[in-house]
Amino acid sequence: MNTPMSDLIEVRGLTKSFGEHRVLKGVDFTAAAGTVTVLLGPSGSGKTTVLRSLNVLETPDAGLVRISDASIDFSDPPADKSAYRRAVKALRMRSGMVFQAHNLFPHKTVLGNLVEGPVQVQGRDPEEAMSAARELLAQVGLAGREDAYPGQLSGGQQQRVGIARALALRPEVLLLDEPTSALDPELVGEVLAVIRDLAAEGQTLVIVTHEVRFARDVADQALFLDEGVVAERGGAEVLTDPREERTRRFLQRVLDAG
Amino acid sequence: MRRPREGATGRARDASGYRIGVRASRLLLLAAACGVLLGLFGPVAEPARADSERVVRVGTEGVYPPFTYRDPDTNELTGFDVEVVRAIGEEAGWDVQFVEAPFDSLFPALDSGRLDVIANQVTINDERKARYLFSTPYTYSHGVIVTAVDTDDITTLADLKGRTAAQTASSNWAQVAKDAGAKVKYVQDFGPGVALVAQGRVDAIVNDNIAVLDYLATSGNDQVKIAGDAGDEVLEQALAFTKDEPELRDEADAAIQRLTDDGTLARISEKYFGADVTQREGSTDVAVGASDARSRWEVLQDTAWPMFRGMLKGTIPLTLVSFAAGLVIAVAAALARLSSIRPLDWLARVYISIIRGTPLLVQLFIVFFGLGQIGIKLDPFVAACIAFSLNVGGYAAEIVRASILSVPRGQYEAATSIGMDYWQSMRRIVLPQATRIAVPPLSNTLLSLIKDSALASLVLVPELFREAQITAANTFEYLPLYTMAALYYWVLCYLVSLAQGPLERRLSRHLA
Repeated sequence: MNTPMSDLIEVRGLTKSFGEHRVLKGVDFTAAAGTVTVLLGPSGSGKTTVLRSLNVLETPDAGLVRISDASIDFSDPPADKSAYRRAVKALRMRSGMVFQAHNLFPHKTVLGNLVEGPVQVQGRDPEEAMSAARELLAQVGLAGREDAYPGQLSGGQQQRVGIARALALRPEVLLLDEPTSALDPELVGEVLAVIRDLAAEGQTLVIVTHEVRFARDVADQALFLDEGVVAERGGAEVLTDPREERTRRFLQRVLDAG
Repeated sequence: MRRPREGATGRARDASGYRIGVRASRLLLLAAACGVLLGLFGPVAEPARADSERVVRVGTEGVYPPFTYRDPDTNELTGFDVEVVRAIGEEAGWDVQFVEAPFDSLFPALDSGRLDVIANQVTINDERKARYLFSTPYTYSHGVIVTAVDTDDITTLADLKGRTAAQTASSNWAQVAKDAGAKVKYVQDFGPGVALVAQGRVDAIVNDNIAVLDYLATSGNDQVKIAGDAGDEVLEQALAFTKDEPELRDEADAAIQRLTDDGTLARISEKYFGADVTQREGSTDVAVGASDARSRWEVLQDTAWPMFRGMLKGTIPLTLVSFAAGLVIAVAAALARLSSIRPLDWLARVYISIIRGTPLLVQLFIVFFGLGQIGIKLDPFVAACIAFSLNVGGYAAEIVRASILSVPRGQYEAATSIGMDYWQSMRRIVLPQATRIAVPPLSNTLLSLIKDSALASLVLVPELFREAQITAANTFEYLPLYTMAALYYWVLCYLVSLAQGPLERRLSRHLA
């Protein structure tokens, strides 16, 4: 690897097909620690697949994914099954995932959702995990709701629990897959506020979003994906003054719609 | 042989959807765990044989008075055959152990080595002689024809031509009726056959004169009568052994000789029949007293406790063990069905298809009688548990699979994203949610199982319905006794269904 280690995330030559359909045709990017990377693009462009590949929820056909000191070269993965599983788990534990539909565990309380990973997977002390979870809940503005079940919360609260659950594993990178798309418009603000705070604190974030105005505020890096490739990559200026015509057209469409 | 009861009905529905990748090694581990579980039900050891007294397992119906039946007062097994074989055993130095079973189950049980001898008025004929060894006869009888009291055109065997006769499949009387040109309807034992004749559903029944006289004396049934003799032939009844046991037969013959010489057999016969039916001339003029003279109400009172005990010691443990083991099998089969490993999926499909495509009664008979023939001799309770567990497993597998599929894919992804492996995701996230979905249909499975457990009565398990059958066979009080049995089942099922509500509420408490 000749990539400088200052990049926390490294993705090279990522390809993925679903059946005949080639979703990713070779995606490359890097992201430095403490930065916010925004992935955007029309639906079907592959942005969500890129994000899910970072967590190996999708298994890429080829290419390299590295987060911090954990990496897998999917072009040449470990032949031994258990070695491969260990590598996947190591990569997964470097990141936390926030889903569009939050995917909270409905049969567990808010606190139960937060401590499940730390206690069951990381083997942390339950008492310690619970007090850390309480702090996280306070951080996302949900102190006092520890014993509620997800079904008793509003959509915005559920998504903030989803963010707290991902953070409970103390990941180096937080991955957010359209975290506000499933929310009622009046609930979007509270979730974006939490994400903004995280960015301000220096948490490394990779976000798939259609909230262009929000992205302009927080993004250190913007990737515009189209038809399975990175069509344009740059700083936040990509979101205000893109070089590529198709990026411009896409932004116009999204802003008109919003 | 005709059986009135059917196996479990279809309960699960099919669902399709996503597949969860499974790691072979782990699933095989689970399969192995199930294997171990089944291993707990391994074949039972042959009864130990003491040097001094050999254990001899004697098969008898227990429902064929006055030959073999439960004494209404003591509920102890008694009757002419029972006393004769006890006397023989004492003389021969056997440790006699009685095994009660329906007549049609006795020969399969003898074949499969669960019995050493049958003492049940077994009539010697050519077919049986070819397969079994017989002792010296200890009863001589002749056949009679029983008809409804208002039937006047049947008095001899020749009149049976083209008419219907109710007979036990493996009894020699079935052959007699068939040879006479009757269309034979098969019944489980003598009592139900007489009921069919009395109800006019069948024209006649051919049976042993002594058994018929006992029936008439005990039941007080005035709707049927002895219409005539079934030929002049005197039939010989003897103990039946397998061909592998000539020494046992010889011991019995020697004992019978001594008991004849010292008058013991004659004494037993006088007690039951007022004549010595152990001699060829004795069968013609017997006087039979009622073997059971209780009122209908007394019969119900006396049977209430044995049936309750049958429920506590038979029906309930059988149901609980089978359901628990069945659920373990069901989860394993459901995961195999959802596995991305083709052979596992295929294996589970075949298993589920066989279980759902064959009658429970047939499955039960294969496990009990079938396996017994190839040397896997299981205790009746264990055999019933295995058959019922496998049956529940096959049905519940589809319920469990559909329930797992109803848990959103995102739950599995969320579990994966926090680093859980397949088994952690299943155990902590997916199965707890699937359980809530599965409870209502699984409650149905449990209720069906409670009722289906009555089938175990046919493989010698002493449970609720078997107790009802035994008393009904002796007293002919079918309607009150079987209604009482139905009531017991209904109450038990009702209590179980009461528990369903609280359980569902508890599993749904997270749903606001």
